[in-house]
Amino acid sequence: MLTTDRVVQGLRGLLMLAFVAIVLLQVMSVPGTISYNAEQSSDPFWEYPLLIVLEVELICVQVVMVATWQLLGMVRQDLIFSDAAFRWVDLIIGAMAVAWTVWAGLGAFIFVTSDDPGLPLMVSIMLLAGAVLGLLMFVMRALLRQATTLRTDMDAVI
Amino acid sequence: MPIVVRIDVELARRKLSVGEFAEQVGLTPANVAVLKNGRAKAVRFSTLEAMCRVLDCQPGDLLEWVDE
Repeated sequence: MLTTDRVVQGLRGLLMLAFVAIVLLQVMSVPGTISYNAEQSSDPFWEYPLLIVLEVELICVQVVMVATWQLLGMVRQDLIFSDAAFRWVDLIIGAMAVAWTVWAGLGAFIFVTSDDPGLPLMVSIMLLAGAVLGLLMFVMRALLRQATTLRTDMDAVI
Repeated sequence: MPIVVRIDVELARRKLSVGEFAEQVGLTPANVAVLKNGRAKAVRFSTLEAMCRVLDCQPGDLLEWVDE
């Protein structure tokens, strides 16, 4: 358990760093880059829709990070096999579903408007990877349910 | 619970207190209370063995089925 404890602490530290980096990306880099590109474009109708899509994606990533942070805390306190953990797991799955749907919308738009295959291919690969991740979360949720049931049963044994 | 753990009868026969019994068996007094109140859902064979050893009795002396 000592190793697990250290890994959990390290993970939480990395999550915190990544969270700060994403906030910087959200408030500085993304709006700046998009408005710059919009200025260069002749018809920047996509400026605000694209900004909203990217910000929503980043917010979803942040939600997943916060929920993961909470779950890691539960692992440390040996509370992970309880019903309270499912609130955070469901939040992760929900955020992933929202992010995937929004990204799929962007992908559909790019598919229709793009004249070279590179960008649609890239967006499709990201959608596939997102689907794999989301379904994996679903499997892990089922495993957590099984383990929680077993733990609850074992706790009742005297 | 149709299965009742009759610890109190055996405790009275041996003149053991619940606290002493719990300590000798290696259970918490809270778990002994759960057994006595018939709220236990499952008992380990090792727990049953320890109880039989401390009370010098058979499992059948401790467990009783009652029709509800």
